[in-house]
Amino acid sequence: MSKRTTIDARGAFCPGPLMELIATLKLVQIGDEIDVLSSDKGSAIDIPAWVGKVKHEMVEIAEETDHWHIVVRKIK
Amino acid sequence: MSMTPALFIILCSGEHEKIQMAAMTASVAAVSDRPVEVFVSMNALALFRKDFDKKCYEGGDFSNLMQERKVPDAIELFQQGKMLGEMKIYACSMAMDVARIELEDLMEELVDEAGGLTKFLSDAESGQLIVF
Repeated sequence: MSKRTTIDARGAFCPGPLMELIATLKLVQIGDEIDVLSSDKGSAIDIPAWVGKVKHEMVEIAEETDHWHIVVRKIK
Repeated sequence: MSMTPALFIILCSGEHEKIQMAAMTASVAAVSDRPVEVFVSMNALALFRKDFDKKCYEGGDFSNLMQERKVPDAIELFQQGKMLGEMKIYACSMAMDVARIELEDLMEELVDEAGGLTKFLSDAESGQLIVF
């Protein structure tokens, strides 16, 4: 049963949201998901770019009124 | 292991903005499966002293903004990059000699060893070299 962890990185500046995501990925199981809440527009571009490079999986990017949900699945 | 050519960074400026850019570049590259080596010299060496005070960043307008708005600290970014990726940090022997800084004055969790420019440049032939 895969779990979803939420990281509230709203208000954090680059590369804070990315670093929090990476640190959390080390703690969760393969197959688990992490939902990063970020108010930093760059993260909506940078996190998917990082995920593509290191070969995890993008689940979803959703834009809310004042922040993004960036959902990543741990693949390895 | 990554096939991306390693990133070699020479950091010699004491300006907060350049230090921050170097820290961001080094840490993001390291966590993106790219090996990073940092050669620290001149005014940047003081950043890595055990007694460096984070209130003492010196820079221009952007430095003031960064400190006001609490962006990730440069030293912490180097620490995160080292923890989460592959990063080596060398303290320039010449700068240590000139400034009379010993290796034990520097943060051992960040500075791997004292190094020379000749070897760093030679190693950098295998990758990409940038200077801050």
